[in-house]
Amino acid sequence: MNAQRLMALVVAIIISVPLMFPDGQSIGLVNAILIWSIFAIGFDLVFGVVGMLSFGHAAFFGVGAYTLSLLTMRMGWDFIPALGAAGVVGGALALVFSYFAIRVSGLFFALLTLALSQLIYIMAGTKLRMLTGGVDGIAGVPRPELFGIDFYNDGNYYFFLLALFVLALLISGLIRISPLGQALKAIKSNEVRAEQIGFNVQRLQRSVFTISGIYAGVSGGLLASLIFYVGPQMLHWTTSGDVVIMVLLGGMGTLFGPILGVAIFEIMREWLSTQTSHWYGILGLIFIISTIAMPKGIAGMIIQLWNRIMPGGKS
Amino acid sequence: MSTIVIGLSMGMLLFLLAAGLTLIFGMLRVINFAHGSLYMLGAYLAFQMVNITGSFWAGLIAAPIIAAVVGALMERIALRPVYNRDHVYQLLLTFGFILVLDEAVRIIWGLEYKQMYPPELFSGAIEMFGSSVPSYRLFIIGFGAAVSAALFFMLDRSRYGMIIRAASGDPEMVRTLGINVSLVRTGVFSFGAGLAALGGAVAGPLFPIELGMGFNIIIDSFIVVIIGGLGNIRGAVMAALLIGMTRALGYSYAPSWVDFLTFILLIGTLILRPEGLFSRKGRTA
Repeated sequence: MNAQRLMALVVAIIISVPLMFPDGQSIGLVNAILIWSIFAIGFDLVFGVVGMLSFGHAAFFGVGAYTLSLLTMRMGWDFIPALGAAGVVGGALALVFSYFAIRVSGLFFALLTLALSQLIYIMAGTKLRMLTGGVDGIAGVPRPELFGIDFYNDGNYYFFLLALFVLALLISGLIRISPLGQALKAIKSNEVRAEQIGFNVQRLQRSVFTISGIYAGVSGGLLASLIFYVGPQMLHWTTSGDVVIMVLLGGMGTLFGPILGVAIFEIMREWLSTQTSHWYGILGLIFIISTIAMPKGIAGMIIQLWNRIMPGGKS
Repeated sequence: MSTIVIGLSMGMLLFLLAAGLTLIFGMLRVINFAHGSLYMLGAYLAFQMVNITGSFWAGLIAAPIIAAVVGALMERIALRPVYNRDHVYQLLLTFGFILVLDEAVRIIWGLEYKQMYPPELFSGAIEMFGSSVPSYRLFIIGFGAAVSAALFFMLDRSRYGMIIRAASGDPEMVRTLGINVSLVRTGVFSFGAGLAALGGAVAGPLFPIELGMGFNIIIDSFIVVIIGGLGNIRGAVMAALLIGMTRALGYSYAPSWVDFLTFILLIGTLILRPEGLFSRKGRTA
């Protein structure tokens, strides 16, 4: 056993809570964790693996949610193809963003993605009001109908989300160990060197940004169906901020870290918001302290502790 | 005529924010995401001071001072420990401060809109070239021009300005010359925070004072800073006026396209001249 497996075990325990307590209140929470985890896993491909800080992922997330809602409710599409379309649209928008944003790097990249996503947010609230319902959003987003299972029951929907979560995790894991993932890591450690070796850095960055957009689009669609609602809040920059917090809190650049971050974030949201109405400020404080004290997040802390307890073991 | 006045006053307001952002960037290499929150804090503080003392001018003086203290604390407590890490961490920390500052404002002043009025001296309107112009707008233009002139004088002519310019260029060298660079950093961050709050205090009578006000203006300030060239304070003046005028013209001729216009300027700049429209070789501040 090593630190990686330990984290995998923790993740497995968190997501299997509904299996152990099938009638508990935890199902809703775990469902949200699964969906946000898909978002965070995809975000970390860009943030953790390549080292590009995007503050615009809310756009892909929200656009995915609107795509799924509009296709199922207005166009009469089935859920599964509409979910696929949410991913495609999220990815396509990410590709468009990347053509503008990858010209610049570092802080500029963060600012430009933020500005572009804010443009989408403004558009959804004003120009596209006919389509998006403006600030009211669209209520009544459906859930899938498959094999006669009632997915409107949260307990059943959990299995649907779990399957997608495992798929998303597998794909992300495969990308990380694939030649593509290795090339992306090379870009993170030294962009100029990667370029000189012969990698087309911009094309690689565009590809991974697009993949990350697909993840965001799918998870946005899923969240809309979980809460039966989509509104402009999902496009708002605070949503981008949330996913940044989750990934950094859990541990950027690791496979399981972002999921731990999502779990902590969601559990805190659930618990703190019953205790105080100022939970977002407390979250900000926790975020500041953890960024200073543990830059590699919870995952980094687990690995460090593990190496101390088990010296000489592989981490 | 009133369009020009609105554009210029908007530009001056944006400059107050952008100047702080770009000074902080030049010195610390960090984009202060929380700048909009400091602007908002400034507006609320000014509102509070006006309520206590009844004088607009008290608010205009007190708000930047308090915000500068808050800025100094932010830099000391949070940013200093991470200077030797990737700049992304500093940006993320300032992002964390948005949440904290917004929450603090919510706790202290609640959710309702606050209203502030221009000082009596500038509460009327003036006839200019056949149209009536609110004199408070004129005050903002004059005040902004005075502040920027003072700022340029400070940067170009005074010893402090020289230290700031030198420390922005080569902090190690300045440190070996016996200057406490980390103190300069705190000073610059605190000064930038004060400028943002000054902007907020000036903007108080123009807009409703509300929780979202910081974010509405921060995106424009980012755009100004990028168009002007990061770290380039002269470029920031031009870019602020450009964006201010674009907004004002947009509001009077194509109100629903205003946001697009500014974004087109931004994207055009980044594609054609990513180093900024107004940058010469090297940085000026």
